[in-house]
Amino acid sequence: MIQIHELSYAYPQHGRGIGPFDFSVRSGEMLHMTGSSGCGKSTLARCITGLIPHIYHGTMKGSVRIGGLDTAGTPLWRLAESAGFVFQNPAMQMLGNSVEEEILMGLENLGLGRGEMRDRMDEALERFGLGSFRGRAPQTLSGGEQQKLALAAIIARRPPVLILDEPLSMLDVTAATEFAGYLSELARAGTAIVIFEHRSDYLAGLPGIRIAALDSATAPERTGAPGRWARAASDEKRGPKLNVSGLAVTIGGKNIIRNLSFSIEPGEVTAVVGRNGSGKTTLVRALAGLQKHGGSIDIDAMRPDFGQVYQNADLQLFNASVRSEILYRVKDPDMAWYAWLMETLCLRQYEDTPPLILSEGEKKRVALATVLMRKAAHGILLDEPSLGQDMAHKKMLIDICRGLAARGKIVLFTTHELHLAAMADRVILLGQDGIAADGTPEQVFRDADAWKRAGLFVPPWLTETGQRVITA
Amino acid sequence: MNLNSTYGMTHAMRIIESSPIRKADPRTKLALCLCASLAVMLPLGKIIFFAIIYVIFLLWARLLPEAARQAWKLKWILGVLFLVDWLVISLDLAVVVTLRLLLMAGVFAMFFSTTTPSELCLALVWLRVPYRYAFSISLSFQTVSSIDTEWRGILEAQRARGAFEAPKGWRYIVEQVRNLVSLTVPAVVLTARRAWSMTEAAYARGFESPHRTAFNRLSMRAIDWAILAGAGMVAAAIIIWR
Repeated sequence: MIQIHELSYAYPQHGRGIGPFDFSVRSGEMLHMTGSSGCGKSTLARCITGLIPHIYHGTMKGSVRIGGLDTAGTPLWRLAESAGFVFQNPAMQMLGNSVEEEILMGLENLGLGRGEMRDRMDEALERFGLGSFRGRAPQTLSGGEQQKLALAAIIARRPPVLILDEPLSMLDVTAATEFAGYLSELARAGTAIVIFEHRSDYLAGLPGIRIAALDSATAPERTGAPGRWARAASDEKRGPKLNVSGLAVTIGGKNIIRNLSFSIEPGEVTAVVGRNGSGKTTLVRALAGLQKHGGSIDIDAMRPDFGQVYQNADLQLFNASVRSEILYRVKDPDMAWYAWLMETLCLRQYEDTPPLILSEGEKKRVALATVLMRKAAHGILLDEPSLGQDMAHKKMLIDICRGLAARGKIVLFTTHELHLAAMADRVILLGQDGIAADGTPEQVFRDADAWKRAGLFVPPWLTETGQRVITA
Repeated sequence: MNLNSTYGMTHAMRIIESSPIRKADPRTKLALCLCASLAVMLPLGKIIFFAIIYVIFLLWARLLPEAARQAWKLKWILGVLFLVDWLVISLDLAVVVTLRLLLMAGVFAMFFSTTTPSELCLALVWLRVPYRYAFSISLSFQTVSSIDTEWRGILEAQRARGAFEAPKGWRYIVEQVRNLVSLTVPAVVLTARRAWSMTEAAYARGFESPHRTAFNRLSMRAIDWAILAGAGMVAAAIIIWR
């Protein structure tokens, strides 16, 4: 179904590129491609779907054939009938005015009858649990819901080939597990699937899946650097705790957060988990003072000073180089600290590169560095910090969180990755009516009723690995 | 992310579902716009008369608050134009120009607060505008609000990382300009990237396929014919009366 022969590609702007590659994927086969962030997974996906060379300039060599069609010589609309492509950032690919329109657009281009379109749309909405959002504007959905919608819009077209670029990155554990199972069903029905994904655990057990790794020079060579912080930690004075009392947020008449109360001690790494749309991002925004809310948030009766790293790092970057980005408006910068950050976050090689041309994972690390360089008084808040990061960088991220906590700071992050949550000191599980569970990862992961109340479950592979992490 | 829309749609204006005009065919609304636009040719006394009729129509259509909201957004431009025309030419001209602009604002408010971008696309395709241009026009209307939302998002994100902390006042003008850079660069880059991503997403869904069929179809109903008849009479009156 997919035949790739001596494929290589180099971008015209900076000469970075990928390849050469030689591989094929047959009907009913599933290929899981892994690789560290920035290694060219999205570029390869664009080559397979024909977006390269049709709308991207640059130097492409070799050939890609999908269902016998040479991608370079076939119009994109014809290729789209053979191969469906779901991109990494769902928010940027929403075209419709409503959830229904988002799905219909792809079906209209297939030239189907109205009845057939309606049936396929209903099936896709039901499959992805979006039935109650039909009239909603896609921009008003949460990141995870947008990701489901982007997948539904392509899968409703029933292409014989599916190319998926990090399709699980924003899905909660239940949705990710269900979607992985659905992919397996599609493969059994004859669909050829290439999936670029860091969250390998959800795919590992699928029958007949092939795994291939892309090369990269960006993987961190070492982790554990925060040992340096841990040594200094004993000298740090622990500050007062963060108190959240009766927190309530209503947006557009909808209660996003209701009566949430908790406190966090400095020195604690807290993970906030919950279903797509459960209010994790809203909670972070409220803690950062960016969201109007009811109730109180204070540290020692004062407004807390947190640095926040956004889910979408593009919003926070604007300078001409990584160096100027990180040092922007930092008074008397601690250059030793800067050098350590560059080394630990594997950014040294990009010091003179404009941050906005880096990969998603790399941009996220630059945004983290800008916040850490500022040294906010009370700590940091990270919204889905693991998006686009490979396993090595996720471990590095946790090391940094631990290092900050050891310095007496409050560290809170939201995540769908329960692996990552298992490495925190404390997990807060958000349910529909507030906190469903709160405790050590071990306590929370064992509370099956709480997960049920939150509309999630803990997959067996996670209990094993999570347990291992906690014990370690 | 814009969570403030209570109308199920996010584009340049809110969709007023309660308006009786909401149910009308977009072609009817385009004809209505054309008719109202003819009124800009009228002299002062008659344009005031027409403006009163149009306000009554907006009141019936439950669109007066939205039209007033849109007109209020133009207050500075209207104010400056009024003053310049009054001081340089005459009060009569200042009133006529201001009324014409208010009228046009009301016409746009009527159309875009009752028509979704996809309905606009259908009407444009009916007018023989090629689908690729009709789709692009409707998409640009749809994304106006996301640019506004994105701007606010960037402002917040820069504050969150501590890159937007310049004090106010003339003494800090350089810092304030730098603040502006921290907002405009991501805004421009994000807008360009969004446009690029949307292009990719459209092609991934078979954009420009020659086999395209539309799910929603245009259809004229009794209310459309009634509005068209009324609009036709008003247009005739304007042409004869002027």
